[in-house]
Amino acid sequence: MNLRLAFLLALAPLVVTGCQRGAETKGQLTVAMMPKNKGNPYFVSCHKGAQEAAGPLGVKLLWDGPTETDPAKQNEVVEAWITRGVDVIAVSVENKEAISTALRKARGQGIKVVTWDADAEHDARDLFVNQATPEGIADVLLEQTARILGGKGSFAIITASLTAANQNEWIKHIRELLGAKYAGLTLVDVRPSDDDRKRAFDETQTLLKVHPEVKVVMAIASPAIPGAAEAVKQSGRADVKVTGLGLPNASRPYLKDGVLDSVVLWNTMDLGYLTIQVASALAKGTLKPGQTSFTAGRLGPLTVAGDNVLLGQPFTFTKENVDHFDF
Amino acid sequence: MASRKADVTAAAVRRHFPGPLTHEALLGVVVLVELGYFAAAGSNFLSAGNAAEVARASVEIGLLALALTPVIVTGGIDLSVGSLLGLAAVLMGAMYRDLGLPMGAAALVGVLVGVAGGALNALLVTRLGVPPLIATLGTYSLFRGVAEGFTGGVRNYTDFPAGFLFLGQGRLPGGVPAQLPLLLAAAIFFWLLLHRTPAGRGLRAIGFSPDGARYAGIPVARRLALVYVLSGLMAGMGAAVYAARLGQAKADAGTGFELFAITAVVLGGTSIFGGRGSVPGTLLGLLAVALLQNGLRLSDLPAELAGILTGVMLIAAIGAHRVFSERSRG
Repeated sequence: MNLRLAFLLALAPLVVTGCQRGAETKGQLTVAMMPKNKGNPYFVSCHKGAQEAAGPLGVKLLWDGPTETDPAKQNEVVEAWITRGVDVIAVSVENKEAISTALRKARGQGIKVVTWDADAEHDARDLFVNQATPEGIADVLLEQTARILGGKGSFAIITASLTAANQNEWIKHIRELLGAKYAGLTLVDVRPSDDDRKRAFDETQTLLKVHPEVKVVMAIASPAIPGAAEAVKQSGRADVKVTGLGLPNASRPYLKDGVLDSVVLWNTMDLGYLTIQVASALAKGTLKPGQTSFTAGRLGPLTVAGDNVLLGQPFTFTKENVDHFDF
Repeated sequence: MASRKADVTAAAVRRHFPGPLTHEALLGVVVLVELGYFAAAGSNFLSAGNAAEVARASVEIGLLALALTPVIVTGGIDLSVGSLLGLAAVLMGAMYRDLGLPMGAAALVGVLVGVAGGALNALLVTRLGVPPLIATLGTYSLFRGVAEGFTGGVRNYTDFPAGFLFLGQGRLPGGVPAQLPLLLAAAIFFWLLLHRTPAGRGLRAIGFSPDGARYAGIPVARRLALVYVLSGLMAGMGAAVYAARLGQAKADAGTGFELFAITAVVLGGTSIFGGRGSVPGTLLGLLAVALLQNGLRLSDLPAELAGILTGVMLIAAIGAHRVFSERSRG
């Protein structure tokens, strides 16, 4: 009997603390922001940027998302936010078709919807915060290559797989720019890495033997960066440098070595920062569809192309700045 | 003296409310505490709209948990239900999108895939005598593996017809989620099976002692086959509801659902050793877990707490049950 009572009493503190909490604060703008995965360091740094923006704007920032691989989780979180009555929902989309249903419902109830990092279906959101356009990525990759080569010389690309959609889009724009802005550069070869570090290592070794004139290896898939850098390092060719697109943590040792000259990616903290700026402006009505420019706090004026807010030029990680980032 | 009097009273109470009901009453209190707490702490928690959303999100796991109740009552387990749901979902999607079958027929194929998967489990357990934990651990990998291999892990079936999506997203008159009647029908079916038929008594007997049940003339193999096939059937039906709710069928559908379902069943007072269990208990267990997840989201508390509190709830409920049942024996 007293044991039974004890169990009931054990639950009592829960009730008491429950009564101390208030409902949603009225008057303050609530922005609910969701990453693809809460535990991924990439998104942890986006969260940091979002918090930086939320403070001065007076935005109440909710941050929640999946911690496991259940694809229904993003939908459940959005449904809860709709019930809660938040002002803006901002999602980095994992499953385009699935989440769009929930986001359309949110819009139907007057909630503003922003996607960031990865887009939903067009009618399921008001705006997409686009971190990088293929043109922008191609341009900044060539800019790095041209700088290393002094404007003239040969380079080769280590891509993800030969059918990877993103990479092929970037390569297409690289080829276009080679004919115009970067006429001094010659693209000698494009080799696959199949998103595998070992494969990138092997392909780079072969490449250096077959094309000794190549002075820059451009690795445009995240696992390809350390693979290509390791191959160049082991070849002992001090005249060859690696550049490309990848994550700072995997690149750090090779940046410090000097084999890897630079790595291009967007600044994830700025991406989170911009998302909150856009969400807040959208809810306050200061950012409207059809606008071509948007001033986003410390990021200054940015381009709005249709329903995409562009973060602008990709960010270049170098030996000097890589220690500020952890993802 | 006073404590002895209390014990006598408690014994009288227990006579009127035997074991499982006591456990359900305890769970009922847990649910009420959750309701009270989140009503105060959450925003719009106590609204018809939120009730509908909690119900909607619980149907697939509810179907699995209902079917798992008789399985666990026999002393067995079915770990393959989440994977089977995923396999049924992608095959259903393929029938509709790749083979051009009408949606109704495709959904039926999905349900039949579930039945076939359940039949495979039944075969392994009854004919080959593989322990259920091992048999269904094997099919847990097998079903998910086939689903992933079949779709390459990336193919995602979408663009289902509106009539089908209504099953997962629509509202019946009064704001009732369209899939809720399915869960209620399944609950009534399993309640009748477990609590109101000789077959249900047979399942309990098997759980207490399979050999004893056999000597008592219970067709043990046939009863076991039935519960595993029913479990597969519910996974197949869950696949249709899941695909309709999310508007997509991908190989990762239903990942981890088996553990949520088992949690609801065990929280509901069903003994993992078999012989004891109840369908209302499972529904209360499901409600307790679902309210917790939903309530934490609405009240600004970290969602990670859901895992911690579910664990605490489970251990407390089972601990309470053991304490009470020992006392009632002594």
